[in-house]
Amino acid sequence: MLDKIVRIKAIRELGSRNYLVTLRAPEQARLVRPGQFFMLKCAGGLDDLPLLRRPFTVFNVYRLPNSGRPAGLELLVKDVGTGSGKLVRMQAGQALCCLGPQGRGFQISAGMKNRLEIACLVAGGVGIAPLYLLAEELMRQNIRPVLFYGGAAAADLVLRESFEQLGMDTCYTTEDGSLGERGLVTAPLAQYLDKQGRRNIRVYACGPWGMMRAVHQLSARKTIPCEVSLEARMGCSLGACLGCVVRSRTGSGQEQYLRVCQEGPVIDSRLIDWETAPL
Amino acid sequence: MAVDIAGVRFQNPVLTASGTFGYGLEFTNLVDLNSIGGIVVKGLSMKPIRGNPPPRIYETASGMLNAIGWQNIGAEAFVTDKLPALRRYETNIIVNIVGFELNDYLEVVRFLDDCPGIAALELNISCPNVEKGGFHFNKDPRDTRKVTAAVRKAAKNLPLWVKLSPNVTDIREFARACEDAGADAVSVINTLVGMAIDVEQRRPRIRFLTGGLSGPAIKPIALRMVWEACQAVRIPVIGVGGIACTEDALEFLIAGAHAVQIGTANFYRPDVSQKIAQGLQQYCRARGIEDIHELIGSLRPYE
Repeated sequence: MLDKIVRIKAIRELGSRNYLVTLRAPEQARLVRPGQFFMLKCAGGLDDLPLLRRPFTVFNVYRLPNSGRPAGLELLVKDVGTGSGKLVRMQAGQALCCLGPQGRGFQISAGMKNRLEIACLVAGGVGIAPLYLLAEELMRQNIRPVLFYGGAAAADLVLRESFEQLGMDTCYTTEDGSLGERGLVTAPLAQYLDKQGRRNIRVYACGPWGMMRAVHQLSARKTIPCEVSLEARMGCSLGACLGCVVRSRTGSGQEQYLRVCQEGPVIDSRLIDWETAPL
Repeated sequence: MAVDIAGVRFQNPVLTASGTFGYGLEFTNLVDLNSIGGIVVKGLSMKPIRGNPPPRIYETASGMLNAIGWQNIGAEAFVTDKLPALRRYETNIIVNIVGFELNDYLEVVRFLDDCPGIAALELNISCPNVEKGGFHFNKDPRDTRKVTAAVRKAAKNLPLWVKLSPNVTDIREFARACEDAGADAVSVINTLVGMAIDVEQRRPRIRFLTGGLSGPAIKPIALRMVWEACQAVRIPVIGVGGIACTEDALEFLIAGAHAVQIGTANFYRPDVSQKIAQGLQQYCRARGIEDIHELIGSLRPYE
């Protein structure tokens, strides 16, 4: 974990209030694992408003074109409030404070008896953010990723060409039918999981709470391990403020709060009490 | 730069405030703990407390609301798992203690009083974020006196600080009650009770409905209350509330505080306490101030 002043390399508008923010941050880019996030000050000075830094997941590591060396971070940011709104209106060349990488990322083969064969990546809207680095890492390990990506309309399914370029299977759904199947992303996911029989599968999901809950229920019914990447309002990302918690209820009935910044943001979906949304 | 509070020496008057610095160890990658006067750790109870359901925090104009609800690992786990590592640093560890009832305080005080490595206890009677207890003991000075006296008796070895609520009509009465009951210092102030609403959903931004307001937004209020408390009592007053830079810390010292605690600023500027400790030293050096006591309470009001 490093706290650095970094410069914005570029901010690209992707539509539907989504932006790809590229930061020059070579040291931090070398450390990042799929699913981890950074805390960004969404203003030039540390005492400027908003005061609290905001958490953003790494979409991709920017690499130098010639050497391929990690040089920066690509963060997918949706303009949803004061912090993200200020960030996407900053200019290339401006400096900001960047703390990270933070948090527990995706587990790929940890705790599994047999090698993972298929990984179902399930995204709702901007929830696509942590799944690209994961898809890359899975392919590096010769595990087959399949993407299920849903949103309100085609314009919400940003950066889907990045996944297509990896050569992986993709399945899109939109609520208005403007791209792929009309409906929710859970419908084709359920059909897909039904067809896989006893193969060694794992599900990774990120999106709105209701979507993740549905994905969890689908996976749990088939005893397929499922990890979700959670969102929470965060104060410090250091595990100190205890502001970003999610309620956890384990099989033994033990209730406790997990810190999304430390025990997450990626958490085994069975540990979560899906009745209490953190936001 | 050193100050003495109830016989405990602080290498400088900069401390971190309870609840904003975890158990200290969360910050070791970003702050040199040896550079600050002390760490007031997250409020501890005897048994672990789960805390309130989320959402627990929300940023407001120049500040934030929180209603964490005393989530902590419990005094035993703190002593076993955190204190040994903390003791390796050259700084003072002050333990903030919470309780729903008088007996809760006494139990945890008796347990911690014999633990080596703790410099002082800070009695938290001013938390607005629990249903029971909390600032119940900080609504009537007679209750404040009673709880302070009882805890004073139970703490046979350690100095006792009492952290006071700003949600009162006259903080001087409460500071005096603490002094009368044998407190060694008072920390002024805890958070102000506040509220924020999501107008789309018409829901409170904090699930607990209200939360404690902290950050730069409350600094002028904290400063005024520190000034008032300093006029009312002879025991040291520790200033806390919205301090985010060296100049803020200086204001509190000049108003009469013997030390300051840095709170919310730790969240967005993790090394702020170290920077303020350095900044105070530079300020003093540049003005030929050899002893920080030359600054403490040196306010020059207009005639």
